Amino acid sequence: MITSLGMMADTVRSSGRRHRIAVAWAQDPNTIGSLARAVGEGFAEALMIGQREQIVKTSREKGINPGLFTIIESAGDREAAEMAVSMTRSGEADIAMKGLVGTDKFLKAVMDKERGLLPPNAVMSYVCAVEIPHYHKLLFITDTAVIPFPDLGQKVAMAEYAISMAAKFGIEKPRVALIGASEKVSSHFPNTLDYEEMCRLAGQGHFSSCIMDGPVDLFLACDPESVRIKGVDTPLAGDADILLFPSLEACNPFYKSLMLFGGGELAGMIRGTTKPVVLMSRSESELSKYYCVALACLMASQLN
Amino acid sequence: MALKHLSELKELLVDKPTRRMVLAAAQDQNSLTSTLMAARDGFIEPILVGDKEAIQVIASENNLDLKGVRVIHEPDTDMSVEIAVKMVRSNQADILMKGKVGTSSLLKAVLNKEWGLRSGALLSHFAIFEVEAYHKLIAVTDVAMNIAPNLADKIAIVNNSVACLNKLGVDLPKVAVLGAVEMVSENMQATLDAALLSKMNQRDQIRHCIIDGPLAFDNAISIESAKHKGIKSGVAGDTDLLLMPDIEVGNVLYKSMVFFAHAGVAAVILGATAPIVLTSRSDSDQAKYYSILLAAAISRPQ
Repeated sequence: MITSLGMMADTVRSSGRRHRIAVAWAQDPNTIGSLARAVGEGFAEALMIGQREQIVKTSREKGINPGLFTIIESAGDREAAEMAVSMTRSGEADIAMKGLVGTDKFLKAVMDKERGLLPPNAVMSYVCAVEIPHYHKLLFITDTAVIPFPDLGQKVAMAEYAISMAAKFGIEKPRVALIGASEKVSSHFPNTLDYEEMCRLAGQGHFSSCIMDGPVDLFLACDPESVRIKGVDTPLAGDADILLFPSLEACNPFYKSLMLFGGGELAGMIRGTTKPVVLMSRSESELSKYYCVALACLMASQLN
Repeated sequence: MALKHLSELKELLVDKPTRRMVLAAAQDQNSLTSTLMAARDGFIEPILVGDKEAIQVIASENNLDLKGVRVIHEPDTDMSVEIAVKMVRSNQADILMKGKVGTSSLLKAVLNKEWGLRSGALLSHFAIFEVEAYHKLIAVTDVAMNIAPNLADKIAIVNNSVACLNKLGVDLPKVAVLGAVEMVSENMQATLDAALLSKMNQRDQIRHCIIDGPLAFDNAISIESAKHKGIKSGVAGDTDLLLMPDIEVGNVLYKSMVFFAHAGVAAVILGATAPIVLTSRSDSDQAKYYSILLAAAISRPQ
């Protein structure tokens, strides 16, 4: 079982496989730094799509040999996004990654019906693996980035994506916590009605192997002591692997608070696509980007 | 916020008249312990309303000294709440605290039209956190009271909180209205409300603070994040108060700060004629203690 992000990167490194990553508008220092490391460690091949001169200059400024990269000249960010996606779709690359291009433009290319990476009717979502000093294992959380207010069908897909990601980490029966403000199902909180239905579906074996419960609050999901004090009977027992959030509004500040205040580190990626897609905020650190690349490689080796 | 540590609340109370706090349904180990600790340290004068015998049992089991403490015997829970509320209303106490009684029963009494503590304002929950990685205390509202506040509610919540921060010595608090993103999106009501709140602040419709939003959590907290995104804001990176879009968001953030960031916390209910301390079993003893100090620091001596 993979229990840390470092261990995840080790696993990818020692797999002996090299994944080709097409990076859209690959000029920014953090993207260049993270890929140089992945290439140097031998598990990635970087197809840097963007302004050649800028990529070379930024690399040199960071003391990185631009010869590590295959650089593909592109006139603009939109074109770079479309190229990264189409190369991944056609099999010239295994993974598509967002560089300095805006999220909207990049996702538009990913979601393009004819040339994109999203199957018809597929739910596109985002799952993060988070490492937190004050938790005893990795936490998988969703959705930090894509779906603002998931409906029942989207929540079901989100759960399945997180479960299948956890499986790649060797977690065979993850504990899935459906997060609410309390453990009570109430019509004041429509999300809790979805959760009730999801637990029913889980009971019928609708999901891949997992233990699902909700609504539960964060304490019941992650703190055995709170479970004891509150006397709530939950199979999660304060030992959750996966946290599914009711909204992007709730999940986004949660993970950012972990990063800024909880000393957390993360790796995340888009789910629902035919090939792994790496997308993160431009402001993420080089280390986070490196972990994201490693995560995509881990997922790619299994997707094929 | 001028304060960096919750322990500095003590300094705000030094040389001030001791506040009288009435504990409703006081036969409750959780709240009784922290009440008597705060009293021992001289920050409040406690009045216990509840089952006297049960109070004495809890006190002796926990080595708590009841000497000199005023106890009003009332075994009936609802009656003890009513007595406590009425004491605050009639200026016999400055702060109300919840003991062994359900939150809804207590609030029902607080909102009683004839003898409650209505001030005309909306009741809202106000928490302040001490986080190692932030350069000052940061207030968060509303994580526990209002489920899905509309714009009018949010204005009331901001006003409650700003008045409270002013009393804590923060003259012009910087208020970040939290969103999942920093762009105004017609699909996310929270971002629309945030934009409106910001504009209303600019136009002096909401005063004594600087409001900006929507701001994503990282931009509210970290100036580097804000700069990276090219956000120009008088609030980003230096937030005193984070306004939550709804209780689901606030609840998660509150618990994340406490559990994963090991943040210290103090919280009160604002909007009544006196501050209300309303702690839960899962709060630490320290959180309860500082909540009482917070209530004392913002209560106006009668």
